Amino acid sequence: MNMDRQREVPLDGNAAGGRLRELFALDMTAAEIICDGCGAVAEIGAVRVFGGAMGAILRCAHCDTVVLRLTHTPAGLWLDMRGTRRLFVASPAS
Amino acid sequence: MPATSVAAPRLHWMTATVRDVIDETPRVRSLVLGVPEWPGHRAGQHVDVRLTAEDGYQAQRSYSIASAPQAAQLTLTVERIAEGEVSPYLAGEARAGDRFELRGPIGGYFVWTPELGGPLFLVAGGSGIVPLMAMLRQRAAANSTVPATLLYSSRSVDDIIYRAELERLAGQGDGLQVVHTLTRERPAGWNGLARRIDRAMLESVGFAAAARPRIFVCGPTPLVEAAARSLRDIGHELHLIKTERFGPTGT
Repeated sequence: MNMDRQREVPLDGNAAGGRLRELFALDMTAAEIICDGCGAVAEIGAVRVFGGAMGAILRCAHCDTVVLRLTHTPAGLWLDMRGTRRLFVASPAS
Repeated sequence: MPATSVAAPRLHWMTATVRDVIDETPRVRSLVLGVPEWPGHRAGQHVDVRLTAEDGYQAQRSYSIASAPQAAQLTLTVERIAEGEVSPYLAGEARAGDRFELRGPIGGYFVWTPELGGPLFLVAGGSGIVPLMAMLRQRAAANSTVPATLLYSSRSVDDIIYRAELERLAGQGDGLQVVHTLTRERPAGWNGLARRIDRAMLESVGFAAAARPRIFVCGPTPLVEAAARSLRDIGHELHLIKTERFGPTGT
């Protein structure tokens, strides 16, 4: 991974793993997200991310619905998951 | 341990000290780091690096870990991107003794451990080789004989990262095959592959879908998406194909 770009290029949820760990206690890249737009299931690591200095926007690979927005501001961290129907995190033993 | 989520201590920023700098290609360097607090990692994971300017401005980027979990020191391999904020320092100016902040390890999706088994089919474009190299180094360090094939696309011979080490690993006769394809310049007498990775190449170089290989694809976004689509069309099961994309650097 070498994602040192200022331009908005699609990367993926792997790149958002660190920022998501600021909120979640578990690794989120292996978590499954179910798109509220089309019902597609994808691991966050496999989902495209459009990023910038402020945060990350994750879009469904099938229908392009924004499934997650993570925004850093000087005041704090914002998480908007309106495009996500469900989030599934497998237990480590499964 | 499966590549599912793993409970881990909260991420925090740690100080890394550059111990050594290795020029891999004209545009790519490896940084060997001393990180006293490093908790260990799995092959395929990455770190976030944060640089702070004197005026307080901070820039943060993610870089794959190149070293095997068994290695004594954490190593990152970084490609210099001309207009980048972080890579010109890491892959250009950083010297032994320099310090910067990092946090990790991060990621549980794009991860391989020897217990996951194989066959292992690794597909890399350019510096996308880095997390896959951590897997191959771990495979070697664990004396694993899991059948493994690396298909690696580079612009030219001089752009092949870890060229000598890959040659050595492939020569050990432990079930690793390394196949290069060169997309821009070929040396005189090159009789290897000489085009971008495509479906026919993935089909002829990789394992049959019936063998159910674990597949890891890492490289520029267009390469990763085209390869993932072809692998799916060939008949590989979707959940066995793991991808990691980075911004286009051209391979």
